[in-house]
Amino acid sequence: MNGENLAKARELLRHFPHESSALIPILHLVEQEFEYIPDAEVHVIADLMGITAAYVESVLTFYSLFHRQPTGKYLIQVCRGLSCQLMGADELSSFLYEGLGVQRNGTTPDGMFTVEAVECVALCKNAPAVQINLEFYPNMTREKLEAFLDKAREEVPTDA
Amino acid sequence: MPETRLLFKDIDVPGIDRIDVYGQHGGYQSLRKAVLDMTPEAVLAEVMASNLRGRGGAGFPTGRKWSFLPKDGRTRYLVCNADESEPGTCKDQEIIYRHPHLLIEGVAASAYAIGAEHAFIYLRGEFKVGYQILERAIAEARGKGYLGDDVLGSGRRIDITLYLGAGAYICGEETALLNSLEGKRGHPRLKPPFPAMVGLYGMPTVVNNVETLSAVVPILAMGGAAYARLGTEKSTGTKLFSVSGPVRNPGNFEVELGKVTLRELVFDLAGGPLEGREIKGIIPGGSSVPILPPEKLDVALDYEALAAAGTMLGSGGVIVLDDRSCVVKSTLRLMEFYRHESCGFCTPCREGTVWLGQVLERIEAGLGQANDLDLLRSLSRNIEGRTFCPLGEAAIAVLQSGLETYRDEYQAHIDQGRCPLGEAAR
Repeated sequence: MNGENLAKARELLRHFPHESSALIPILHLVEQEFEYIPDAEVHVIADLMGITAAYVESVLTFYSLFHRQPTGKYLIQVCRGLSCQLMGADELSSFLYEGLGVQRNGTTPDGMFTVEAVECVALCKNAPAVQINLEFYPNMTREKLEAFLDKAREEVPTDA
Repeated sequence: MPETRLLFKDIDVPGIDRIDVYGQHGGYQSLRKAVLDMTPEAVLAEVMASNLRGRGGAGFPTGRKWSFLPKDGRTRYLVCNADESEPGTCKDQEIIYRHPHLLIEGVAASAYAIGAEHAFIYLRGEFKVGYQILERAIAEARGKGYLGDDVLGSGRRIDITLYLGAGAYICGEETALLNSLEGKRGHPRLKPPFPAMVGLYGMPTVVNNVETLSAVVPILAMGGAAYARLGTEKSTGTKLFSVSGPVRNPGNFEVELGKVTLRELVFDLAGGPLEGREIKGIIPGGSSVPILPPEKLDVALDYEALAAAGTMLGSGGVIVLDDRSCVVKSTLRLMEFYRHESCGFCTPCREGTVWLGQVLERIEAGLGQANDLDLLRSLSRNIEGRTFCPLGEAAIAVLQSGLETYRDEYQAHIDQGRCPLGEAAR
């Protein structure tokens, strides 16, 4: 963790009535900084909290939003809840897999995009729904996704 | 057939997420009344009189849940379950994102009633933006003295801590939620002891859903008895229903319990099926309850009537399937969900959802075998009543009911070696 996050992590240890509650918030800090949870950070957290690395690992692997492999700058999560599937989620994920040349949970070689098909995100009335870096994109269409990808590519040159 | 809006009364007011606008529309009057004019016991009495039942899915009477807390002087906690993850359900999301002060007021008034100085709101990890919205709203509420060390000069301390989960459906189960809030894997705990006796950090704890706690605000404003006059004798008040799937006007609708039928909700409020389509079935209470065929749509929307119709009111997540929706594919999709979300702690659920998924996969792919429907029934029976928590039962609800109601469609997949709906099937 960078210095700022380490300071935040130390604050989190005192934020809850019980120090153990800080683990998941600290994992969120690490995931946000690195876009995944690197091995080295598992040990940093273990040392910080006085628990074993195995325990940290056992907790983080329980939760879908923590990644053990690097993810792209844009984490695109297509909701595959039943309501979204009924409204065309499969077409959206196929479009992304084919258009970006990745498989499910795959990341483009330039590290820009990761595409995941995820379980219900609680946006059923706006199906099909997509989340990009945990922001909701309701009532998604192929065209809207295409526009998003184009804009994202323009903003960040691929050689950056 | 209109909505009856108590929770959503002001949700369309521009800026209602800001405390000043919320205040101009009567916001925080319920909390003010509770903290300044009522004893905690009197607030509990109003909630008891309202007959409010838990809106997360189980429908347990809220006042009774509160009354189970032991009077032994230990620290008590209130935990708001904002882990809304039941497929088809997006009502709490709308409260959190659009009407955050309603929830905060409900949490604060409820914390006062149960004698908790410290309340937590456990949000599912995907509600990261909702977390930021609540963070700002809580800061506003502290600034106005509605939260903090001395709420409205009453000498009472009430504060709220937000907590962001990290993606796990099982954490909607209240004891799994408590484990997650303690920084552990989200495995359910053995009950008893119930959270009222041994909850968060081992202390007496009440866990209530977002909609439940929000409902405390109108209950205190109108009085428990007036709230209880809405709805039916056993299903009082209003309830939010999320309608999703192939309908013209999907959305969240607040209706008086027992006064509106499922047909009216889906056709009048949600606009009915898409052009030229017909309804094949409806899962009325989130994905964990039995599916109803079209001939049962005149059932009233209340806990008792839906139970009598063979299903459950659950979370109020109404998923509509039309004549292009393949029952096998939809059931497979749900089984994949439960397979992924099974916490893995107990064998019937962990293994059973995998096996059921495999059999459903091959039927859906046109490779079903002659005895596969019996196999599905038998595997389901090995889950039914044999799992540690309700997730196992939830996983088989649509399957078991669908095997009866849509037997011909299942059989046709096996006999024809493909989906009888053909390429257009969703």
